[in-house]
Amino acid sequence: MNSPAKSAITKPPKSKAPPVTYLLATVALLSLLFAFPQIVDSPYTLHMMILIFLSIILGESWNILGGYTGQYSVGHAAYFGTGAYTTMMLMQYAQVPPWLGVWVGVAVAIIVALAIGSICFRLRGPYFVLASIAAAEIIRLTALNVKSFTNGAEGILATDIPPLKLGAILITDFSSKLPFYYTGLILVLLTILMTWLVQHSKLGYCLQAIREDQDAAHSLGINLTLHKNIALIISAAFTSTAGSFYAVYIGFIDPTSVLSLDMSVQIVLICIIGGIGTIFGPVAGAIILVPLSEALRSNMIAQGLFKAGLVGEESSIGIFLKDNLAHSHVLIYGILVVVVILFMPEGVLGFISKFVHGKTRRGVS
Amino acid sequence: MTILELKNVSKFFGGLAANTDISFSLEEGKIIGLIGPNGAGKTTLFNCITGFYPPSQGQILFKKQNITGLQPHQICRLGMARTWQKVRPLVKMSVLDNVMVGALCRTNSLKIAREIAMEQLKVVHIEHKTNMPAGGLPIGERKRLEIARILATNPELLLLDEVMGGLNTSESEEIIQLILETKSRGLTQMVIEHDMKAIMRISDRIVVLNSGEKLAEGTPAEIADNQEVIDAYLGESHA
Repeated sequence: MNSPAKSAITKPPKSKAPPVTYLLATVALLSLLFAFPQIVDSPYTLHMMILIFLSIILGESWNILGGYTGQYSVGHAAYFGTGAYTTMMLMQYAQVPPWLGVWVGVAVAIIVALAIGSICFRLRGPYFVLASIAAAEIIRLTALNVKSFTNGAEGILATDIPPLKLGAILITDFSSKLPFYYTGLILVLLTILMTWLVQHSKLGYCLQAIREDQDAAHSLGINLTLHKNIALIISAAFTSTAGSFYAVYIGFIDPTSVLSLDMSVQIVLICIIGGIGTIFGPVAGAIILVPLSEALRSNMIAQGLFKAGLVGEESSIGIFLKDNLAHSHVLIYGILVVVVILFMPEGVLGFISKFVHGKTRRGVS
Repeated sequence: MTILELKNVSKFFGGLAANTDISFSLEEGKIIGLIGPNGAGKTTLFNCITGFYPPSQGQILFKKQNITGLQPHQICRLGMARTWQKVRPLVKMSVLDNVMVGALCRTNSLKIAREIAMEQLKVVHIEHKTNMPAGGLPIGERKRLEIARILATNPELLLLDEVMGGLNTSESEEIIQLILETKSRGLTQMVIEHDMKAIMRISDRIVVLNSGEKLAEGTPAEIADNQEVIDAYLGESHA
């Protein structure tokens, strides 16, 4: 009954020139984002924005392999960690500045990706997922145990970042959050552009065909191994860039923070929550997940309940909540994720567009 | 001229012989029917020819080139395309995009692919549903979508696996017209079908498989009179 409406959601008509209003809105949004640090100078807000940027980059990168090609890798921490470790180790042990180290990180991540891909892409469906987890765990355990090389569980602490100079002109010395904000923003725009280019190219058609039905795609002349590996290389390269960015921004990495299964799952969740296989799904996912996890971590829910007067701060329930809610943020986070997956199988973005579309349709008829 | 030649092709799954020592050849521009009871090895043979299963023994020559052991995408690029017994539409992609995926086998330009796709959708008469997701099509149109999709790969040989299965009489008739139309354009076709009336009508030659072996080969009239085929598959009513 509602299949024509569905078609309009899942496949918007081929866009011609974007209408002026869209163009204006985009320009306005972009200038707002670029002016944002001038308007808001709270370091915490900037920190949150940078974390959101990081999540968007990770989500968009994963989306190429998971969302468009349908290869649900739950081992993207491998590429994130590779980027982080390569950049950090070059900076600390060999005094290579990070803006050069990041390229080495990308190169190493591509090599790692090809090694993992050549093994894991022999498998399909859930077996591929398990293999991708195993591959990432191998890298984490290696980083943990080869202490002479990676400093093991102690991790690597960045002492100071060399200033970025163009000739004699000092561009930035990385003493504030500003350079990270702009670097993150530019990386976000690049990954979105990359996703757009992939979606509107022959490559995008081939990847989506593989996602829909591998055998059908194969019979239509699509080289499965080649295209899966291309998707993986693009995905790994951008994930590695995000890893380098994270390492330099936070200034400390260890196997648990950049190579763990938690990290891999986080990356997947950004897309699942926002909407898989769409350009702006990961953006929506990041905007929801980052503040949510931050609010839960800082016990904002208990504080909110106290402020609203729903629960007395000194009552037994209040004390219980104050003591336990912050520790159980992972549990609450998990429940929310389950709820979203159950009730919004196409992600928040899919849910909203369905809702909006349903309304207008009812309005018309 | 021979377009496809099978030389003693066998396929074993462990101890099970799905195809044993099958040899026959296809003339260019003809329609060859492949019939046989369920489990006779018809689809397995298709899978061997199109590269999805490497044959255990034997050789397959396509346009005089040995294609045994090539990957499905390589075989498609050589000009052989297949449909699936159980249709495999790319459900979340639009009807047009489905056919474009086929067309992109020959071109790198989305614009050209879109033109080819529109053309083929007109050939199978579903050009009015271009923007619908392929998952929303009824079975008859899904079958026609599959044909449009492989026609878009610009093949010389089409392998159609039960394209009339599950269709009603008028839908089957449309597919038959489509197959005859494709033949008139000079394309060679190999058709698996259980509808005897249809297969006798469209085929120039028929190959009968039974328990993985080639039971008989000949013109439709010869096959209909063949006592072995009647015993194994057709039954008395067709004789």
